Amino acid sequence: MLNRFYKKLFSTAIFTSLLTTTLLASPQLSAKGVYQSGPDFVAEVFAPQQPEPGVLWLNKSIRQEAEKILGRKVLGLRVRYHQSAGKTAWILNEIGKEMPITIGVIIDQGKISSVKILAYRESRGGEVRYPAYMAQYQGATLTDRYKLDKSIDGITGATLSVWAVNKVAALALYYHSQVMPQPESTK
Amino acid sequence: MKSSNSVKTNIIWHRRLGLSVFLLLIFLAISGFALNHSPALKLNKISLSSSWLLSWYGLEKSPIKGFKLDDKWFYKDGSNLLYSDNQAVAPCSDSLLSVAKSSNTLYALCADTLHLLTENGQLLESFSQLDGLPINVRAISAVDNSLYLITDSAALEFNPESLALNPVLAIDPDSLNAITAQLPVPESLVQQLDESGPSISLETVVLDLHSGRFFGQFGVLVIDIVGLLICILSITGLLAWINRLRQTK
Repeated sequence: MLNRFYKKLFSTAIFTSLLTTTLLASPQLSAKGVYQSGPDFVAEVFAPQQPEPGVLWLNKSIRQEAEKILGRKVLGLRVRYHQSAGKTAWILNEIGKEMPITIGVIIDQGKISSVKILAYRESRGGEVRYPAYMAQYQGATLTDRYKLDKSIDGITGATLSVWAVNKVAALALYYHSQVMPQPESTK
Repeated sequence: MKSSNSVKTNIIWHRRLGLSVFLLLIFLAISGFALNHSPALKLNKISLSSSWLLSWYGLEKSPIKGFKLDDKWFYKDGSNLLYSDNQAVAPCSDSLLSVAKSSNTLYALCADTLHLLTENGQLLESFSQLDGLPINVRAISAVDNSLYLITDSAALEFNPESLALNPVLAIDPDSLNAITAQLPVPESLVQQLDESGPSISLETVVLDLHSGRFFGQFGVLVIDIVGLLICILSITGLLAWINRLRQTK
């Protein structure tokens, strides 16, 4: 009787250990990686059109606002983007926990059209790249306080990555407003 | 009589074991408590960089080398930052390979990113592998106002305005005189780096002391033995308590 109990306990312990290891290891195995290069992302977004490259120089006031959005110092004096017919594409980096996440953001007529993780370098939190999560950003605009006007549901265990994507989405909207100011009536 | 002797022996060994692990047990309790509350105590934020500790961990400070261009020094430190003189300007997670100057722009090539800098060393922008920088690029060279990225097999003309790359078959990559030889960085600049040089967090040191790894395999063995002795101590203590209960009955 006791022997059977120990056998059952042992097999349950082995099964639980394997399950826990698999669950803990799976995000780590799949999270890191380069999913798409910048030029490929731009080509895909604007296909079949050929977008025009542009440069946004970060003057003092733009830099100050960008630093407010990111909550840190902004590196570089200029930012590259691509545009075509009121649509702009931005490829920006933001630290998740320790490593930069490269995020592509498309803004169309002052609203987010799509957000995509191009490269993820953290070992955990890679769930932010899932399309179901990214779809939440569609149609988001920037408030007067430089925040997204939509509430974005977080992901357990990926809080810092979610914050990073939120900041980059807001920053891309702000940069877009600097290169393509919206007429007052459409705001 | 026999029973009385065994009780006496048990208590003697309990005392001996207790005294032998007394100090280590207190240390393990305190270090364990500290590790449990590491985020609150901010142990991972406290960096230790004393020479003997770095040497113990095999993190010898190697002489810092870099490039001198236009009276400016470009180099990277242990924390993977690219420096222009004494200013950290950009991340440089891999080795700094080469520098060049063309027009009013300076170029610092790290293995995975090309940084474009102003004449006074401010970062203009970075051109990474994700943006199209070749993986096997090893140097950058400026010739007659043209910029070339040199890979193992070819030279690519680089347009700093559009960030476009065009292979140039007519030029032998080895004929381009790229600056790739690094020189020791002046002591005055290195001294300023000491604060941000290699360091070890207090959390790592406490964890290694707690597990015994700080002293290598021997330390781990000692902690294992202490763990075993604590188990025996618990058993001898329990036996002593049971025997005392029996005697009082």
